[in-house]
Amino acid sequence: MVQQTVTVPNRLGIHARPAALIVKRASSFRSEVTICSGGEEVNAKSIMGVMTLAAGQGTDLIVSASGPDEERAVQEICELVSSGFGED
Amino acid sequence: MGPAFLFEVEELRVSRRLLASADLVQGELQRFDDALALTRSELLAMAGQIGGLIEGRQLIDTHVLLVDDPVLKSDVRRRIKDELLGAESAVSEVLHEVIERFEGMKDPYMRERSEDVRAVGRRVLNKLLGTEREALGRLDAPMVIVARELDPSVTAGLNREQALGFATDIGGSTSHTSILARSLGIPAVVALKDFAGQVRPGQTVIVDGLHGRVILDPDADQIHYYEELRKRYSETHAAIALNAEEPATTADGHAVELSANIEFSQEAESVRRYGGRGVGLFRTEFVHLLSPDSDDEETQFVAYSHALKVLAPDPVIIRTLDLGGDKLFPSPEFHERNPFLGYRAIRISLERPELFRHQLRAVLRASAEGNARLLIPMVTEVSQVLETRSILSEIMDELRSSGTAFDNSIQLGIMVETPATCLAIDLFVPHVDFVSLGTNDLTQYTLAVDRGSPLVAHLFDPLHPAVLRQIDMVVKGCHPAGKWVGICGQMAADPVAVPLLLGLGVNELSVPVSVIPDIKQMIRVMDMPSARRLAAESLLLASGREVRELLRRAIADRFPGILLNGNG
Repeated sequence: MVQQTVTVPNRLGIHARPAALIVKRASSFRSEVTICSGGEEVNAKSIMGVMTLAAGQGTDLIVSASGPDEERAVQEICELVSSGFGED
Repeated sequence: MGPAFLFEVEELRVSRRLLASADLVQGELQRFDDALALTRSELLAMAGQIGGLIEGRQLIDTHVLLVDDPVLKSDVRRRIKDELLGAESAVSEVLHEVIERFEGMKDPYMRERSEDVRAVGRRVLNKLLGTEREALGRLDAPMVIVARELDPSVTAGLNREQALGFATDIGGSTSHTSILARSLGIPAVVALKDFAGQVRPGQTVIVDGLHGRVILDPDADQIHYYEELRKRYSETHAAIALNAEEPATTADGHAVELSANIEFSQEAESVRRYGGRGVGLFRTEFVHLLSPDSDDEETQFVAYSHALKVLAPDPVIIRTLDLGGDKLFPSPEFHERNPFLGYRAIRISLERPELFRHQLRAVLRASAEGNARLLIPMVTEVSQVLETRSILSEIMDELRSSGTAFDNSIQLGIMVETPATCLAIDLFVPHVDFVSLGTNDLTQYTLAVDRGSPLVAHLFDPLHPAVLRQIDMVVKGCHPAGKWVGICGQMAADPVAVPLLLGLGVNELSVPVSVIPDIKQMIRVMDMPSARRLAAESLLLASGREVRELLRRAIADRFPGILLNGNG
């Protein structure tokens, strides 16, 4: 399993559009991908899960993946988050 | 009158159905998968229809992801397998838990995401429950449409030939449903609060638009009465349409521009038939919504040229996109607490020059085919007019260098629909060729009354002295500079208000096609000196109610024969 922490940089946080971007990216990997924030862990391929994290600006997210492409999955999702989703 | 067609009733709760045996589980799981697949393709088809509207597509994107959500899916499947629940019961239970979770969230924006879950949930349940709840496009027999609320994104696909009437729980006289009904010439009753919930699909419903009444399961007497009424009504209407050939001129020879508000280019044919002269307001939101995204400019060009060709040499005033407000939620990212005071119309267009350029190019290219004019909505700053002019001249340069024909001297006007433009009309006049009063919005912004709220709808009155004084200011600001003043709000379609508006000096009245004959008849019996007297007297009154009484009395005294039904 691979794990990495990333901080939400954009002002609006993980609202609907960023959540959709994360889910789409996560779904493109065969590995199981989860995101953990404030003790709550959700499936990163579930829009419901990612949206209900309601992670605001400055929140730390722990991205984990396990499976054949775990390395790339964690790396790409962390990059996506730290890019601020093209906002701000 | 006709059988009810229930559109998306707001009910996600279904009765809890248990499977009789575990053998049925496989079949239920299949039903669930099929419903998801159908919902998915329906959403993707909608994304195609919404076209270039990026935000609308993002909303649908979220909906597709909800359909695909692996956690929700396995939750539903588990309930079917382990608890032997029927597919629709399992979906309904999961939906309720999810909605509860969203509604318990701190962030108000996230709380509203429960609406997305509801919207998707309704679609999936519709599939599972079969034919009871259907989409408007599949309306294949004459029916009365009953709904909580209708908005442009759902009525865009409406099979117009088959709609007998509308009955909705939400809305006011200037909400989308009412406007659409008027343009189709069919009855509508809105703001029924809780009607849709009581109607079963196929039940007979009478929509009495004259008296604002609906009757569910009418008895034989009522049916007879309304059949007679409908016959009389269409006879009267046919008789009035005979004035189509007559000019819209007052008894003392004052010519009035009487034109039509349209939303679809195909309506152009009926404008002449009803005796209108051109189009005073071509709303372009529908044309845009229905464009396939790759070729937005082309779709718009085809629509505008059609209307222009059919109506030439009469003018067709094309209003640039008025998105936002109640017309399609423009930004799912940023929730606005007051969308009517927010991101809408020209404010969006100038921030998305690409979308705006497509539209302006389409209008300019079409302008070679007839008498086109441009109208920009929700202007509050002079700079918005100047910016539009400079984009226009850039596009004109492009067209010139590519040898494309267009009308060099196309008129550019602004909607006057905020107190800002009325109070400072002198600042705008030098930069425009004409103005068009949007009295629905002007009334709402002046009186601070949300026209869609049943709680305050009674305070919405375009005859309020504050509104009339602004109309007066606008006319007095425009005429000395040789600029003409039109009005395309609902107010122009109220026969009682016609003498008042002409008396105030308004040059053009633009109304829904179906009321052109009534308005023309009103124009033809009145004379300008009395209209001016009425206007002067109205400006001195203390309330909209007093103005209305004055106008009614004057009309009843002088023209006892005039029809005042339907629009009063």
